[in-house]
Amino acid sequence: MIDVTELKVVRQSRTICQLDTLQIGSQDRIGIVGSNGSGKTTLLKVLAGLETDYQGRMNGSPEVRNQTTYVHQSPFLLRGTVLQNVMFGLRMQKIGRRERSQMALAWLKALGIAHLAERSTQNLSGGERRRTAMARALAVQPKLLLLDEPLADLDPGGIDAVVRVIHEYPHAVVIASPVTLPAELSCRIVTL
Amino acid sequence: MQFLSEGVTHAVRLLIVGDAEVISAAWNSVWISISAVLLATAVSVPIAIMLYESKSWVSSSLVVLFRAALNLPTVFIGLVCYAVFSRQGPLGSAELLYSPYGVVTGEFMLAVPIVVSLTFGTLQGLDSRILETMRTLHVGSRLRWITYISEARLGMMVAVLTAFSRCITELGIAMMVGGNIKFHTRTLTTATALETSRGEFARGIAMCLILLLIGGCITVLLAWMQRTQESIRA
Repeated sequence: MIDVTELKVVRQSRTICQLDTLQIGSQDRIGIVGSNGSGKTTLLKVLAGLETDYQGRMNGSPEVRNQTTYVHQSPFLLRGTVLQNVMFGLRMQKIGRRERSQMALAWLKALGIAHLAERSTQNLSGGERRRTAMARALAVQPKLLLLDEPLADLDPGGIDAVVRVIHEYPHAVVIASPVTLPAELSCRIVTL
Repeated sequence: MQFLSEGVTHAVRLLIVGDAEVISAAWNSVWISISAVLLATAVSVPIAIMLYESKSWVSSSLVVLFRAALNLPTVFIGLVCYAVFSRQGPLGSAELLYSPYGVVTGEFMLAVPIVVSLTFGTLQGLDSRILETMRTLHVGSRLRWITYISEARLGMMVAVLTAFSRCITELGIAMMVGGNIKFHTRTLTTATALETSRGEFARGIAMCLILLLIGGCITVLLAWMQRTQESIRA
């Protein structure tokens, strides 16, 4: 689905991300593990098309490129409620408001935050914000989902919900993490 | 000092009885400025968003140009409009000279750089993750623009009010393009200048009191918006 070869990102004469090769299949679970500053976020941004100034090659079909979604390490939520945020990405799809709302609620439920649906995004904890952003990304059903440290700030219940959702997600998922990922995710680990 | 206090007393009386000249000038000032700012906002906000989204040197140069245009003297804009709208000018046939619509056009030119520069500044101050989130959710341009406006709405309102404040208090354009015609193009500022030169201090002060009142309302509104924005950030 996506092939990355000899990727190198240099900023101010300093190499901030380097990777020899990475192949991502359509249903892969890949864990990008590395210490702080090893270039995990940069790699995800390159894969997401947000970072375009790099050396090396990245091949992937336009279809996948247009269906790749990235969730920030510290996600940004729009003004409004949790439900409105999750429905946001679905507004581009030609489906009715009621159906959008049901789909969004289903993802919130899967991530264990359905009770927060009507809460303002200004009043969420770090873990709740993270799961809201993840639900928003999942709702658009991307072919490639890029998650930057998705398990940080989560309580054990939250971790279980997120791990289960990622495990059951039918498309490719790439997860960046500074620590080893739970075994249930069955990730192929790439160390930076 | 006596003439000043008498002027203020007489001005208050003129305002209370609703002097036709004062009311006409106030109404002209308000509708001309509102029209100019509304038109400028409709044009400037899309320009500011396009400049924010574009990373080319052309957009950077345009931003510098718009910022430089903030310093344009109103008499210069008045002069340009006069030249363009006069009989020999390229838009002479439109008969905009000495008409309120000519003043609207001039004030529109005054307001555009203000709204563009301040809106652009507000957008630049937005969290950089907004742009990335929009891109990564593959949001279309219409929804993306609505989101920017929604996220930056308070800053944009400040830009619009600043432009309105500048338009309603300007003199050069209203005098040169409008011609200060009684009940037609006379505004609060041109009337103040005229009445003062004629020694009619009371009328001049009455006009200024209305201007000060409008300015005071805008200041209060801006302060309230700033507090709202700070409380949201907190």
